[in-house]
Amino acid sequence: MRNIIGSIILIIIPLFSSAQTCCSGGVPLSNNLGLPNEGKGIFIIGLNYDYNNLNTLNAGSRELDDDSRQRITNSVLLNLGYSLTDRISFETLFTWVNQTRTINQFGFENFTETSGIGDAVFLVKYSMPELLGSFSVINYGLGVKAPLGKSDHTTPNGIQLTADLQPGSGAWDGLGWVSISKGLDFRPSAAISGSLTYRLPGKNNSYLNNTAVYQFGNELQANLGYSDQVIILGALVNPGLIFKYRNVLEDEIDGQEIPNTGGEWVFVRPELTIPIQQKFHLSTRVELPLYSFVEGTQLTPTARISIGVSYQFSKEKNDFPLNNTL
Amino acid sequence: MKRVILILCTSFLYSCSSSSSDDGSTGRNPNDGIWSIPISQVLDGGPGRDGIPALVNPGFTDVSAAGYLNDLDLVIGFKKGNDVRAYPHAILDWHEIANDKIGDVSLAVTYCPLTGTGIGWNRVINGKETTFGVSGLLYNTNLIAFDRETDSNWAQLLNEAVNGELIGKEAELIMLFETNWGTWKKLYPQSKVLSTQTGFSRTYGISPYGDYSTNNNRFLFPVPKDDRLPSKERVHAIVGETNAITYRFPHFISTNIIRDTFQGKNYLIVGNEDFIVSFELTGALNNLEFEFIYAETEVLLEDNQGTRYNIFGEAISGPGLGNNLGSSPGFMGYWFSIPAFYQTEIYSG
Repeated sequence: MRNIIGSIILIIIPLFSSAQTCCSGGVPLSNNLGLPNEGKGIFIIGLNYDYNNLNTLNAGSRELDDDSRQRITNSVLLNLGYSLTDRISFETLFTWVNQTRTINQFGFENFTETSGIGDAVFLVKYSMPELLGSFSVINYGLGVKAPLGKSDHTTPNGIQLTADLQPGSGAWDGLGWVSISKGLDFRPSAAISGSLTYRLPGKNNSYLNNTAVYQFGNELQANLGYSDQVIILGALVNPGLIFKYRNVLEDEIDGQEIPNTGGEWVFVRPELTIPIQQKFHLSTRVELPLYSFVEGTQLTPTARISIGVSYQFSKEKNDFPLNNTL
Repeated sequence: MKRVILILCTSFLYSCSSSSSDDGSTGRNPNDGIWSIPISQVLDGGPGRDGIPALVNPGFTDVSAAGYLNDLDLVIGFKKGNDVRAYPHAILDWHEIANDKIGDVSLAVTYCPLTGTGIGWNRVINGKETTFGVSGLLYNTNLIAFDRETDSNWAQLLNEAVNGELIGKEAELIMLFETNWGTWKKLYPQSKVLSTQTGFSRTYGISPYGDYSTNNNRFLFPVPKDDRLPSKERVHAIVGETNAITYRFPHFISTNIIRDTFQGKNYLIVGNEDFIVSFELTGALNNLEFEFIYAETEVLLEDNQGTRYNIFGEAISGPGLGNNLGSSPGFMGYWFSIPAFYQTEIYSG
């Protein structure tokens, strides 16, 4: 049963969100962490692609009739997890990021793009199964986001780009996470899960050629979801539906809040995980905003799509979580 | 094999970190070439080129219909004959440039919300009319505009092209007048005012920069500070090639008229608690005495020969009718922005 819960965690629990921007166009670490602890000695690798499209201009919660600006973030995320013991595990996430900004106005199109290695997350997790009764698990995690990505990109002619378009944040962030998952007694294949994450961003002291200190806003994220296992066309798949609440405080420069940054959002995220082989599975997610409130006027997420694969290397046979349910 | 691996590694590293920027419709980079200002201090402000859409031939409404303005809101005024127009900050905050045509005057009202500077430029350059757009770039946290005719970039507070085909070209200044809406309504109740029906969906009347205009500590981008005055104090600056002189509202408590000389030119600076405006005195005007006769109409001054002048320096009655005061290279702006660009002195009496 632990493995069923583990698979559910793998599917539906989003972790850290590190959007680097005033308009939530940053690296989508959120949906790509949260590997379960599958037991001592088990190593999991995941590779995900994430497409985040921001084409909606909001003033507060009001959508403005203006689609002239578009931000797209394409991310490739490499996720590695290793369970040191049945309780303690490590997880890392490395990213490569491509960000574009397109403005279509007056019949002209202006396009700006940056690409590069993004920041990385290192996380230590502790699992407490069965603490809330059978079919339950509570996980705690603490970690850091390391500034591996460049935060001083310029255009080819040397014009400095702001934090909004940088692959990296230039700062160490602290991360805290807790998740709870509880299988349903009347339907063991289903579970309700929730998670809470908090990101405490550090300061980029070398922003804009060492002329300013930049700090992204603190971020709180909560998720609540339901997942199950069903047979579709003869194959057992794991669908899930998650509601995500995200709250980000305003960014700061030299200790002063920056207008048009921060806000709060509610998303719905249908997900589907399909086992391809015993230890190899494919997952897809679509994230759509249900409610968006931004401070001031900002681009806000229009749609996000993710697809990824993961593979488990274990010492023992037949212990991949999804396999137990096949 | 080693060479293949090396090429692959090099390609990989290149793909790992790169940036590009271009005008997708033409495939060229509009900011290429030499800059006359340090490019290391030119910043991409975030919205991008045309991300803040300049207005072109905007619509106007009557004073009575401009309900979105409060009496303390600032407006920038222009007058050509009987055609008087107001360009409120409340709209310019969102567009920064209004390309307008008043009679035979092709005017670009350029306004930078981050430096509080409103300056009028002639849109006819080298005999060709152009429109200005917002490049999305900043220099010393000040607007860099671009002209669509040549794609040259223009630094607002320098009043000159700093990049592109027209690099070094100075903007021809057109006199504007800045005051609050309550005062403007009394001066020109029949004037036109920019309409909020701009064709763009924006929250006019709500500043996109919060309390930036009054918070002396709030800056969005690095810029040199000068602690002689509060950073966001509005001052009137007269600028030269590399120097500037500024006049403060407190200077006009005990007097409304200051005669001053700056870089060999004589100026008449006139103000009260609601506005400061300056004129260059040339020729016979230097020999006149002026009296401040402002009484909440457009009439501002009367000289000792009985000629009356309005707020734009036009002689509107008396023996000197038609003999206008000269316009000066003066404009209003936040204090910090002037010494960021010019060696600046504060008028000391």
